[in-house]
Amino acid sequence: MSVGLNHYLVVSGMLFAIGFFGVLLRKNVIFIFMCIELMLTAVNVMLIAFSKFNGVGDGLIFVFFTITVAAAEVAIGLAIIVALYKKRQTIMVDEINQLKN
Amino acid sequence: MNIQFLKELAATNQWHWILPEIILALLGVSVLLMDLFFRGDKDKKIAIVSIGAQFLVLFYFINNFSFMNSPDTVYAFSDMLKQNAFGNWCRVFFIICSILVSSLGVLYLKKNKLPSTEFYSLVLIATASLMIMVQSSHLLLLFITLETATVAFYVLISYGRNSSLSLEAGLKYLILGGTSSAILMLGIVLLYGVAGNPSMTGYSTDSMNFKELGHFISLNQGSSLLIAGVLLVIAGFCFKIAVVPFQIWVPDVYQGAPTPIAAFLGVASKASGFFVLINLLTGPFVHLKEILVPFLSVIAIGSILFGNIAAVTQRNVKRLMGLSGVAHAGYLMIGLVASFSVETHYIIYFYLLTYLLASFSVFGVMCSVSELDARQELEDYEDLAKSNTFLGFILIVGLGSLAGIPPLAGFIAKLLLFITAIKVKLYLLVAVAVIGVVISIYYYFGWIREATFRIFRIEDENNKHVSKDYESDLSAYHKILFGFVAILSIVFGLFQTVFRGFIW
Repeated sequence: MSVGLNHYLVVSGMLFAIGFFGVLLRKNVIFIFMCIELMLTAVNVMLIAFSKFNGVGDGLIFVFFTITVAAAEVAIGLAIIVALYKKRQTIMVDEINQLKN
Repeated sequence: MNIQFLKELAATNQWHWILPEIILALLGVSVLLMDLFFRGDKDKKIAIVSIGAQFLVLFYFINNFSFMNSPDTVYAFSDMLKQNAFGNWCRVFFIICSILVSSLGVLYLKKNKLPSTEFYSLVLIATASLMIMVQSSHLLLLFITLETATVAFYVLISYGRNSSLSLEAGLKYLILGGTSSAILMLGIVLLYGVAGNPSMTGYSTDSMNFKELGHFISLNQGSSLLIAGVLLVIAGFCFKIAVVPFQIWVPDVYQGAPTPIAAFLGVASKASGFFVLINLLTGPFVHLKEILVPFLSVIAIGSILFGNIAAVTQRNVKRLMGLSGVAHAGYLMIGLVASFSVETHYIIYFYLLTYLLASFSVFGVMCSVSELDARQELEDYEDLAKSNTFLGFILIVGLGSLAGIPPLAGFIAKLLLFITAIKVKLYLLVAVAVIGVVISIYYYFGWIREATFRIFRIEDENNKHVSKDYESDLSAYHKILFGFVAILSIVFGLFQTVFRGFIW
């Protein structure tokens, strides 16, 4: 059996779903953050597969941009999480609830 | 691929078309360097340099007024960048916005004793990327500029590093912003993959380009993956403009963010989302009218009702501004729905311009009055108009314009929007919007009442609340700026002839 476009799409779709539901259901900020990265990775897999099977290379270039964006997001995200941990001594989202009416 | 092709490609890289953005981005980097070399009153010098340079860029646009009204469209950078009159007006919008944000930043940073250089740097870079974003004609450029602005926003929202509220708001925006950019990316990739598939009719090798994508969509309107991609892209931008069901972050983030940044988020980020959406809906997505009109109508109705009803119970004014911003996004969605039948670019622009003037009047007063940033309760505004008439006047003009009271600009903007919607027979949406406006008058005027009529309040025994003193130490520059913004709200309400050339 040869691996076709649909196989890639199913795998990346599943990865995206795992990431999305992880963001919704997880309580630990680090896990939530990893789930966001998982979603971006799933999109990258999809991009490469489309690029390969459509026979155009610009999708591969797009992947570089996505990775850069994800890296920038991680750098800033971890900085915010560390600063918040120093203030609050917790990274569980249900304890980060000082903002309310 | 031969050398001739590459030469032609390089010839389209006409950098002079994005000169203002280049200036802003370079300035954003160079203020970081200036921070090393300036001595003495460093904060003040850097503020003068960055705000002064933004005024120069604004004058560049005013000087080249003809190119803001020219009917022709220029494509540059291998069709990635599309420049026309509307795009230029949007750029002016963001420049005005960033001047005001930087000016509010001067007040905020001094009061909270925060380092100022990075603030101006990030505001400048975010502005430059938003300015390119509204002109982009390629999904890749759109995504990159969007992310540049968003990453700058993550830092700016958590700028108050000493306040755990600011950090919490930053974290919330980060998580939801990251999720929304992943959703947007998924939509972009689906569009790219489907429109580039060689087995489809009208496929393109440059399928992220708006023109090619539009051509493809007009030929394949029934493809379900394509529709999924379009809906995901719109959902990604709905997060930016904060409409139901992507509005859940709004109250918390507005409350925790530094006040000038809450204004930046509420005006520039929202406006950029609308400008991009109108470009998309009148460009590549125009053939999907049957699917998108009900989708956008539901969003509009949901946002108008949710925003207004949720804002009624708020006692914190920053949350109130955020939720009323959701309602305003709902009204603007009506303009987007109408854009399928009639040209609404400049009506949306005019509405956002009046929203900018009114919001910055209100946020300017909030920056001048507040002591503690995240604890902006309605009670803090008690008796403002009596003890500081100037700030009271600006607050009343701003809130009146947001509520849509006749002599002010907000009324005319709403009127234009509703007239357009009635012309294209969107009666249900206009009915919901009118109900929303009525509800909004209740909470906007609750705030005005708080600021003007102390007499209605039951005072406690020791009259603790009464002895409020609003002696604000505003500089002459800020007084002129706030006064000018408030006056413009009145002027645009009475004379719109300035805009006649392009609205009607």
